[in-house]
Amino acid sequence: MIKLLKIDFQKIRGNKVFWVLTGVYALLIILFFFGIQGFLDDLADEANKKSPIPLPGLSAYSLPDIWHNLVYIAGYFKIFLGVVVIILITNEYSYKTIRQNVISGMSRWDFLASKLMTIGMIALGATLLVFIIGLILGTLHTDSITFGKLFNKTEFLLAYFLETYAFLTFAFLIGVLVKRSGFAIGLLLLYYYIVEPVGRYYLPDEIGAYLPKKAIGSLVDIPNTSIMRLFGVEFQDYISFTDTLVVLGYVALFVGLSYWILKKRDL
Amino acid sequence: MQETVLSIQKLSKNYGRIRAVDNLSLEVQEGNVFGILGPNGSGKTTTLGIVLSVINKNGGNFSWFGKVPGKHDRKQIGAILETPIFYPYISGENNLKIIANIKGCSYETIPEVLKTVELTERRKSKFRTYSLGMKQRLAMAAALLGNPKVLILDEPTNGLDPQGIADIRELIIRIAKRGITIIIASHLLDEVQKICSHVVILDKGKNIYTGKVAEMINASAHIEVGANDMDALEEELRKNENITGFEKDKVIMMVKVKEGYDSAQLNSYLFSKGITLTHLNTRKKSLENYFLELLAEK
Repeated sequence: MIKLLKIDFQKIRGNKVFWVLTGVYALLIILFFFGIQGFLDDLADEANKKSPIPLPGLSAYSLPDIWHNLVYIAGYFKIFLGVVVIILITNEYSYKTIRQNVISGMSRWDFLASKLMTIGMIALGATLLVFIIGLILGTLHTDSITFGKLFNKTEFLLAYFLETYAFLTFAFLIGVLVKRSGFAIGLLLLYYYIVEPVGRYYLPDEIGAYLPKKAIGSLVDIPNTSIMRLFGVEFQDYISFTDTLVVLGYVALFVGLSYWILKKRDL
Repeated sequence: MQETVLSIQKLSKNYGRIRAVDNLSLEVQEGNVFGILGPNGSGKTTTLGIVLSVINKNGGNFSWFGKVPGKHDRKQIGAILETPIFYPYISGENNLKIIANIKGCSYETIPEVLKTVELTERRKSKFRTYSLGMKQRLAMAAALLGNPKVLILDEPTNGLDPQGIADIRELIIRIAKRGITIIIASHLLDEVQKICSHVVILDKGKNIYTGKVAEMINASAHIEVGANDMDALEEELRKNENITGFEKDKVIMMVKVKEGYDSAQLNSYLFSKGITLTHLNTRKKSLENYFLELLAEK
């Protein structure tokens, strides 16, 4: 199994597009995370000028809430990684290297497994990035750090890993389905920003909540802020077991469908 | 005893209404240099794609080394289908490393195969910078990785210049001498005639001839005879059981005979029947003519 990961890494190593895109992603995340407090402070200042009662400031970086905050924000950037995954798989089709891989002695399952492991590594890398930034920002902005404060709520990191992984298997499935990168990326964006949101508008909530983007996104709910509490809005500040199960179900579905397509089609 | 390397039974593949491979059966024995000959679109690549498990069959069976096919067989087969396929942004050498890892063989043979195809100097260059001839040679190198038992080459000289063609053919002959079984798909008769020991001719996915290349050339031999009394000649030819067929072509007869029966025997037979020949000539048709004839017979 490790060998399959190694093979995929050999393919990625010289792939400039991959490194540029993941580099841009990392840079965006870093800039955004480090800049967000300034943005929130400005927001609070603005609000206080207009508000008759003084509003409490928001701290995005205090431990342990920082895990929830960062993970929630990072969730908006995962589309970027989805594009990376689509490029990785559609390249194999456009170069026909998937065919040569099988001719050389991979089974279709081996091929899928190598890609799923790469996706796992990408999700892991994204999670590590959040973890490292969280650790830096958290320790800088929290008084009297305790072990409990540091690692309480790190389950949000696990949830983020699952969220990213599930989304990337979805992107992978689209890539396998349409084989051409431009078309696949277009389809992913179309589904993500138009088809599902519009679909959810027409569907009853009980069904809409289980659509892939929503289900995967709901794993980590909006972080509660003191302002929102003032208005009496309360979001889910924990990872729910059922949500996790639904997302795991989606991972199984996306992987299963990808395998079925790979198996059925001529290469 | 020779081992059967590849056995195909009643293989079929449809693309919509088109039958790309039609009830095809054939066997390749160990050590054969086996040519799959046929015009473009006759099902050569499809057949190879099926036995390499990249194309799903609609019917029939095949087996490698007498066993149910699986990925481990393919690790002992070096194969190129259609064009050379590699990661364009990766160097020739690193592309070979990827294939070595897929095949589960060590990197040790890489310098050797690069030397065999004379790409040692350019091994660090990215694949996309290679000329077509170099790409074909890298594909040969990839196919040779890990000392395969079988080599499958699909139109290995397609698109090459005369020098490139000569290089590749020489390489194939050199490899064949090592005793590796080689399967070559080609639409070039000349190529098959020069390289192969055995041949199958495909047309519209059907097997229309299988046998040794040498026998095929013999089978294509015929004797031309002519006499003043063509009717009597025809009658006597009909009586001779060594004659498998004949055809009237203006003033001469084109006679096909059984193996071992030659023009001298035919001459003395006809003379004993009172027919004096005015024309006698043995001709070996080129494989090309024979091939066209086979296609036309259908």
